[in-house]
Parts: sequence; structure tokens; C-alpha cells
Amino acid sequence: MADKRITIRATRFDPEKDKSPRLQSYDIPFSDDSMVVLDALNYIKSHVDGSLSYRWSCRMGICGSCGMTVNGTPKLTCSAFLRDYWPRSVTVTPLNNFPIVRDLVVDMEDFMHKLKSIKPWIIRKQEIPLGAGEHRQTMDQIGEFRQFSQCINCMLCYAACPVYGLDNEFLGPAAIALARRYNLDSRDQGTKERLPMIAHPDGIWECSFVGECSVVCPKGVDPAKAIQQTKLDTTMRFVLPYGNRE
Amino acid sequence: MSAEAETATRTYRPPMGAGWWTRKGHYFWYMVREFTALPLALWLLWLLYEIQRAGRGPSGYYPPNSTAFVIFSAICLPFALYHSFTFLKLAGVILRVKLLDKPLASGVIVATMFGTWLVASVVVGAVLIGFGR
Repeated sequence: MADKRITIRATRFDPEKDKSPRLQSYDIPFSDDSMVVLDALNYIKSHVDGSLSYRWSCRMGICGSCGMTVNGTPKLTCSAFLRDYWPRSVTVTPLNNFPIVRDLVVDMEDFMHKLKSIKPWIIRKQEIPLGAGEHRQTMDQIGEFRQFSQCINCMLCYAACPVYGLDNEFLGPAAIALARRYNLDSRDQGTKERLPMIAHPDGIWECSFVGECSVVCPKGVDPAKAIQQTKLDTTMRFVLPYGNRE
Repeated sequence: MSAEAETATRTYRPPMGAGWWTRKGHYFWYMVREFTALPLALWLLWLLYEIQRAGRGPSGYYPPNSTAFVIFSAICLPFALYHSFTFLKLAGVILRVKLLDKPLASGVIVATMFGTWLVASVVVGAVLIGFGR
């Protein structure tokens, strides 16, 4: 049987030489049905063109480093199987809506800043001493926020969000989903501290519920749900006399 | 040149074209959903005008007499139905309702919303037809 081959078209951009990105084609062996797009990029880097730049780490859908746009859809390249595209070519471009630093690498600074701004950690008014024991939770209490805690900060939701693409000031899906994750946590007392960022005009109210963020999430998080429910909760806090409670 | 400027990396921000909503079916249907609010808003404005005519007395207020209003209403109906359908379908995502300290499944919320819509439509229809006779 003749060896199968597949064409990978990858974005190339050298900030010192290029005015804008271009696509470069690589024809590589598709020897194994378990090959993913990240394997193809690694093959190119090892055997064809060592100058190709991209991020990756765990190659098992956990670290969230290898997010790129594969044939127009934001995906973790370690979870995008070549067999799902072959015999068509695969076009790999950087995540949409982010500035390109080099080739397939985008500038994450904006996202990291937004992530930090919503204080994604448990905030207590007064810490309980370690000797007093753990903060206990029931399964129902964990169930309240569990799905939002699955976020791996891969930024696919930002790449899929046209609202963020049109206005980079938007706080964005993952940051709001994580804010909700902590606001729903029975151990947390930091809702009021997060509120200025969340209820800001560039926060939840910027979202017009396109919903693509939830479609592309590789971990089954539903950021669109988090945003819409936060809109309702925030309104209730404002409208109802008892809504401003902790 | 400062050290900061020397180390700064030039980046390229790809422009987002006006046709972004044609890139994916999901984006397209989102735009359709949002667009259907426009005929609805125009219909409501027209309805306000018709109600304002009621100020001239009962003889001045009878919207079905206006052929243009009837035609425009017929055009707006599918838009209104589609917008209502998509809105109610998303209610299961938006609403978080607890019953006996357990969250209700989104399917139950959506079914309740559609049921309420049906009942409200029947009641409003009956009132309008009843008073119209």
C-alpha cells in the first residue's frame, strides 16, 4: 500500500521580516491513524523546517497550550485527529482575535491580565486557621460550580468569540466563567470584590450570546451559560431588596 | 532607544472583516436571531401608532381596517415566531431554578416556557377574538 500523505498549511510570520502572515504548505507522511495535528507540526519541526514556532506541552488535552485554529475552528491541536480531515489538507493558523507574535504563537498578555483581574481564587473575609480543619462541602455544593472549574485557560473560547474579536476590551468568556466558578463556591466570600469587573460595561453586558464559546470548549465548560446566568444574578442583586447579600 | 523599546516584539493583529458572520453557520444563525428583533421592533412602533389613534375614539381605532398594517403584521409573524422560539429555547441556559434544593433540568425549564407561551397565546387569542366580535 502506498504511504498516505497529508498537506499541512501553516501560518508563517517573522516579525523582523514579514509585514503580514502567509501560509506555507508542507507535504508530510500520514503514517498512523492516531496522528493529531500537533504530531504533524512536530514532524515538520523535526524533519522539514525547524524554524516553525508554536506552543505545546502536555499533548493530552490538559495543559491548554496547543490551541490553534484548524480549518477555521479553534481546537486543541493535540486532540484534532488528522484522520478527520484526510484526504483534505489541514490549514493551521494562530488563534483568532489575538495578536500574532511569530508563526502560530499568539500574545496571551491580554488574557492573562483579564484572568488575574477577576481574582480566580477563593477569597475569605477571615481565613480559618489550618488547625480548625478543612472547608467541608456537600456534593450538591460542588455540583454548583464543578463544570466551570474544568477550564484549562486554552483561550479557544476567546478565539471563537466575535464580540471579543470586535472589541478586545470585553472581559471574555473564560474569565467570566471562572469568576462564576468562584462566586458559586460555598467556601468563597469574594463576590463583591469581583463584581466591579464582572458588572462593568466591558464585562457580562458586552456579551450578546453568540454561544460559540461553549461549542468550541474542549473541556465541556459552558461559558455562555455562566455569562447569561451572571447577568440574571447581577440584575437580581440590583433589583431585589435582599439581592445585595453576600 | 530604551531597553524596553529594544526588547518589544512587533506583533500582527489580523483585522476582523465585516463578513465575519459568514464564516460559520453558528455565527450566521446568531445574526438571523438578532435580526428578527428588528421587524418585531418596527411592528411594535406601528402598533403604538395604532393605539395612539384610539385617542380619537373607537371609530378611529380598528387596526384590521389598515391593509398595510395587516400585511406588515403577516410579514412580521414568522420573524416574531422565530425570535420567540430561539429566546425560549435559550431560557434553559439562562435560568437557574431550584426545586427542593435541587436544580431543575434545563429541558424542564424550556418545556415550561413553551407551555406558558402556548397557554398565553391561547388566552390572548381568545380575548382578542372574543372582544372583536
